[in-house]
Amino acid sequence: MDVNFRKIDIDQYDEDVLQEEELYEADPRDPAQVLNDAKAKVGAVRNALSKGDTVGAINLVLDGTPVGPNVEEAKNLNLQTLTSILNSTKASEIPAIVRSLSQDAQDTLMKYLYKGMALPGWGEVSGSVLLGWHEKLTEVAGTGCIVRAMTDRRTV
Amino acid sequence: MHSTQTVVVQVAVSLNSNDVTIFHRQGQEWAAGETLSEHDKLITSIDWAPNSNRIVTSSQDRNAYVWSLTPDPQTGTTIWKPTLVLLRINRAATFVRWSPNEDKFAVASGARAIAICSFDPEGDWWVSRLLKKPIRSTVLSLDWHPNNVLLAAGSADMKARVLSAYIKDVDKRPAPTVWGEKLPFNTICGEYTSPSGGWVHSVGFSPSGDVLAFTSHDSTISIVYPAHGPNAIHTIKLTHLPLVTLTWTREDEIIAAGHDCQPFVFRGGEAGWELAGTLDDNKHAGGGSTGVGGGRGFGAAGAGAGASPVGRLSSAAFTTFRNADTRGFASMASSPTSPGGSGGLPSAGGGGESEIFTLHQNTITEVRVYEGVPGDVRKVSTSGVDGKLVVWDVANVSPLGAAGLSGKLGGMHIR
Repeated sequence: MDVNFRKIDIDQYDEDVLQEEELYEADPRDPAQVLNDAKAKVGAVRNALSKGDTVGAINLVLDGTPVGPNVEEAKNLNLQTLTSILNSTKASEIPAIVRSLSQDAQDTLMKYLYKGMALPGWGEVSGSVLLGWHEKLTEVAGTGCIVRAMTDRRTV
Repeated sequence: MHSTQTVVVQVAVSLNSNDVTIFHRQGQEWAAGETLSEHDKLITSIDWAPNSNRIVTSSQDRNAYVWSLTPDPQTGTTIWKPTLVLLRINRAATFVRWSPNEDKFAVASGARAIAICSFDPEGDWWVSRLLKKPIRSTVLSLDWHPNNVLLAAGSADMKARVLSAYIKDVDKRPAPTVWGEKLPFNTICGEYTSPSGGWVHSVGFSPSGDVLAFTSHDSTISIVYPAHGPNAIHTIKLTHLPLVTLTWTREDEIIAAGHDCQPFVFRGGEAGWELAGTLDDNKHAGGGSTGVGGGRGFGAAGAGAGASPVGRLSSAAFTTFRNADTRGFASMASSPTSPGGSGGLPSAGGGGESEIFTLHQNTITEVRVYEGVPGDVRKVSTSGVDGKLVVWDVANVSPLGAAGLSGKLGGMHIR
């Protein structure tokens, strides 16, 4: 008799266990295509920033962001693109930009802010930037936006 | 939680315990009456059937009891006598509601099932049938459709569903509705996911039964019009904390409340819905806070009224502390600074008074109809984690972030 029965992962044999994927709708795009989209955005965003169109740049990044499993590289690339926009925006412009975003875009931006804050050592690197954006975004979108960033299983 | 009986005004209340206490209205006060003790664990939900005068309670001990008034053989007075209901669930019961005709009741449970219980006269007991099929996690709330057959269920698997709870010997075949025709037991008539993924805390059919509203933990409230197509769902993404309970007052008005400690009013129709205001006027004296105008700072919508929301919260707190330090105050009698009056700021430091500007001091967990009939509700009652039961007049809606008319009547504080 197999004495390691205590170490069996019993949940793998349970047919009715609730899987993470059942709780949200997955991104319908293919992972490779998602990565290509993210790379294409980098160029487009750089263009927009050089023209001074911050709102356009942000919307480009936030629209169609990669969510869910299997797209880690695309997600990180997107985060870097977004961080470059956030860093390059003047503090006085932030409220106007945030107000012009759609509600969905505001929710996605909040998710990215928290993702940025989750990186170790973010305090020295981009502390004031992330916190500044967080403050302005909460003033406009409220605590509901923060709640949505936390409950949404479609993580960026 | 609480449940109200309308004829003689009585309310059944359970204060986070295994017992229920019945209170009745005496003038402006509430007097405690009988205590119903039978459950072994925390009572999770109570419902009082006004016409047949029976109370059903559900508890974490996996049981439900139906209480009816019977004469006590010894003393001759009428007391509440419990009848055990065999639910056959192996997890806690979370929510219970009588059906509109009061011949059945539905019990939601953590066993990923809903028990529909009806009375079996042969065995003289309540028997249950379980609705299991598509439910993947704990069912958090229920609401019956006026036709006594359809049931809405909100669940922790992020979905709100409409199911058929047709029991052969109890129900007659129902007329077709917007939800479907021919509805054998456990038919799924609709399944809706919460927009940003969050437990569906509360569901409710409109008075006509043609519209379904549900609130979920992603701070949204959604209103579904099945007659207008599968995608006719209006979703309002809120700027404040999630709502955990809702009730329809009229076909075009919903009162919902939750972690923001005040009842919100939503109005709308097929064309769209919007947040119309709050029943709370946000003017309650908060201990050492500035008391500048109304409007609870935290996330109460509206950039107007000069209320400075979360952004300046920290600087106001710092300034208060700094002033306390330099002036050597032991308690904050008044905060001299606080730019723009962040209304929701709990008084910092020693004063020990940290009341918020709403009447309820903590999450509202339940809102029930107090006076009126379905379709024309005039008053609602709310109970919450702070132990208060407050009755509100539905007509007194204040816009958010501004001072408004007072709309509270007969508040009861239970310790």
